[in-house]
Amino acid sequence: MVKSKDVLLEIEDLQIQGYSDEQWIDIIKGVDLTLHRGEVLGLIGESGAGKSTIGAAAMGYARDGTRISGGSIEFDGMELTTATESEKRGLRGHRIAYVAQSAAASFNPAHKIIDQHTEAPVQYRLKKRMEAQEDAMELYEKLRLPNPEEIGFRYPHQVSGGQLQRAMTAMAMSCRPDLIIFDEPTTALDVTTQIEVLAAIRDIVDEYNTAAIYITHDLAVVAQMADTIKVLLKGEEVEEASTKEMLDNPQEDYTKSLWAVRSFKRPQKSRPKNSEPLISVRNVDASYTGGVKVLDDVSFDVYEGMTVAVVGESGSGKSTTARVITGLLPPSKGEVLFKGEPFPPDYRNRSKDQLRQCQMIYQMADTALNPKVQISEIIGRPAAFYQGLRGGELKSRVDELLDLIELEPSKYYNRYPPELSGGQKQRIGIARALAAEPTFIICDEVTSALDQLVAEGILRLLDRLQKELNLAYMFITHDLATVRSIADEVVVMQHGQVVEQGPKEEMFKPPHHPYTDLLLSSVPEMDPDWLTTLLEERGIDNVGEAASSDIDPEDTKVQGTNI
Amino acid sequence: MSLFVITYYTLLLAASCLAAYFNKRSWFLLLFSLTLVSFIVGIVGGPSALQSIAIVAGLLALAGMVSFAFREFLVAIASHDLAKELRTAPLTAAFGMFIIFTYAIAGIFAPWIAPHGEAEVIASAFAPADGEMLLGADQLGRDIFSRIIYGTRNSVGLALAATLLAFIIGALAGLLAATKGGWFDQFMGRFADVIMSIPSLIFALLMLSIFGPHIHVIIIAVAVIYAPRVFRLTRAVAGNVVVMDYIEAAKLRGEGTWYLIRREILPNSTAPLVAEFGLEFCFVFLLVAGLSFLGLGIQPPTADWGSMVRENATLISFGDITPLIPAAAIALLTVSVNFVVDWMLHRSSGLKEK
Repeated sequence: MVKSKDVLLEIEDLQIQGYSDEQWIDIIKGVDLTLHRGEVLGLIGESGAGKSTIGAAAMGYARDGTRISGGSIEFDGMELTTATESEKRGLRGHRIAYVAQSAAASFNPAHKIIDQHTEAPVQYRLKKRMEAQEDAMELYEKLRLPNPEEIGFRYPHQVSGGQLQRAMTAMAMSCRPDLIIFDEPTTALDVTTQIEVLAAIRDIVDEYNTAAIYITHDLAVVAQMADTIKVLLKGEEVEEASTKEMLDNPQEDYTKSLWAVRSFKRPQKSRPKNSEPLISVRNVDASYTGGVKVLDDVSFDVYEGMTVAVVGESGSGKSTTARVITGLLPPSKGEVLFKGEPFPPDYRNRSKDQLRQCQMIYQMADTALNPKVQISEIIGRPAAFYQGLRGGELKSRVDELLDLIELEPSKYYNRYPPELSGGQKQRIGIARALAAEPTFIICDEVTSALDQLVAEGILRLLDRLQKELNLAYMFITHDLATVRSIADEVVVMQHGQVVEQGPKEEMFKPPHHPYTDLLLSSVPEMDPDWLTTLLEERGIDNVGEAASSDIDPEDTKVQGTNI
Repeated sequence: MSLFVITYYTLLLAASCLAAYFNKRSWFLLLFSLTLVSFIVGIVGGPSALQSIAIVAGLLALAGMVSFAFREFLVAIASHDLAKELRTAPLTAAFGMFIIFTYAIAGIFAPWIAPHGEAEVIASAFAPADGEMLLGADQLGRDIFSRIIYGTRNSVGLALAATLLAFIIGALAGLLAATKGGWFDQFMGRFADVIMSIPSLIFALLMLSIFGPHIHVIIIAVAVIYAPRVFRLTRAVAGNVVVMDYIEAAKLRGEGTWYLIRREILPNSTAPLVAEFGLEFCFVFLLVAGLSFLGLGIQPPTADWGSMVRENATLISFGDITPLIPAAAIALLTVSVNFVVDWMLHRSSGLKEK
């Protein structure tokens, strides 16, 4: 593919300020950026590095509470910092398009997908409505959406997340813009769906020679998509280089540390001999209010001091299993044993001590911590509730817990959750679970909302706590890199059934159950050619949802490994 | 041309020129359009019309200055966190707070402020205002000014008590319904529907004619009428909170319902409840005043704004505005409370000004 080399977007010394605590604070401190026609630029960095802010600024847009305070943004010869609102509005959607992180939240649920798609071309008088619809169907087909003729006439909630994200990309293409800004388009998706979206985005960007800014915190993803990569840290550029060079030979220490993130790995432990499992899930069936079975004959054991990772796509019943163990959803069949004793199925019937044994850490630390309660009370309450600590004793216990999660007690004691960063919130969630002095902790996607560096810190912390306190973890995740680094045993779930389970080393060695195989091969790798190779191997139509529904139930490997 | 007219136009034009010079676009537009309007009004209505414009503008400026000064005063005496919040208050909210503050002072210190007793007959019926009586006498020869001061205490106190009771009943029921769910929620919801289906004034009249017009009957009747609205709002707000993970975590810890309500749900629903409190207070106030006007509210000789309007209503046919003064007091309080509530709603909904 020959790419013409004229400059499309030129940002020079961009400075953006944000309003907080009654003063303007610099968020972006002088970033330069040059994007040629047809070029894909990857912007990476931790959250708060200013990736999305730069992405929005490329459209001449400053979010509420921010302002562009200096520098210039030149888009195809037009200066956006001084352009009037109506001039900028004429560009957006027409020549610059935006694909947001959550397609589900970005589509208007009250209108059909195709009506939202055709709105921009009809509004800009580029096409008649019927032409625009035909064009939409063509784009849907190019993006390999199933039933391209029909899918646009559905409402957003009738379409799966991965399909919606592709429909969003199609919508961004509707006016054939010169520039598309992708703001973490696959972060909310499973690995298997992510591939479909990535492949679709890459094809369409290539075909129409569209320039793109691809914002993400996942290095392996950006390696597949971008021609050049720019690394950001706290509103400043760390370095920029072509993808190949950046991966092989990063210059700055910060970049190297980003690259090294996936290095954390700990030795695998094996089950203690002749001992009872701590938690034993036996032949559990469950459904919500008498509907379809969400769990079908699920059984596995968790031993003391060990980590069991439960993996699978969203909707495979991982979190439901956690709800059954905690007693929030009493199973319709089967039981949960704790040290050989059956746990009462409903949490209301469990004793204080039984409740204490089994704690939970949630995915979204934002909703898991009460925003109106001080940290000292969030952590102190379980200690006061279970151990009956009061006054000085309670304070020293909270200090001890804060020390344990590597936060300085005096600094955090009186603060509220909204004042903390994502990683710190997750640490508070861990401290709350520890305060109960449990033996078993369920970690429900604890790292999926965090950046890699922060997630790494959380994993190390969890590992250290396990060693010190001899905890057992049930680690729910769809990220296989996390499984590799922390698990002792792995349980693979699909459609509410356990399809394969065993020690980690065995699970990562072939032969696999075809579904495990699919999951494993869908994890992006750092190699920039990974996606191309994978698509060649599997064939373009055999990725994601299509592939997982293609698994032949009569396959010998399926029969052999099914438990 | 009189000196007044010359000064009037000079001031307006000078102010518009200053605004234009300092690039205050909206101020300039306001002042200069006022100048243009004044030309027409001046030609049609003469100097007296211009005078009334000047008086209105002066009153507005006075109110603005009072609000500004009062806000600065509050900021100066408040603690650090509170001061930060107060600084975001618009002038309307500051004005509202100032009026509420004044009413509170008048109500609390009524016996010391009022020159005469609330039931004390000191003059002939409908005696005009003089040095002794600021607003003249009512139909029995009692000082109207003193009665208005006492009325603050009675009317506002009654409305406050009734609103508080309505909130305690409604909020508690709403929180319980949201936490417990199931049949309790259903039962409370339908019960609230039943109460809400009866027109409020008729319900109050019914209760008062059965149990007699005593203060406690009024309070309870009004509380029962308004509790279902509070119940609905609280249940809706709390319903959004109970689905959060931290509530699940607290339930799994084995916490009781009362702890859940008090420590986990209530702190996260206070903002809309406080705003609703302001609104309901206005409605309750108007209902109480309406009941008084109908003769079923606070009984004579206790002073009350609603009944004062009724008692002096005949004066209006003689072109006297005295009966409108207690009515204006009601209106001013209602508007002020709404100013403050608007500000609180704005804050709790997280809307940011551009």
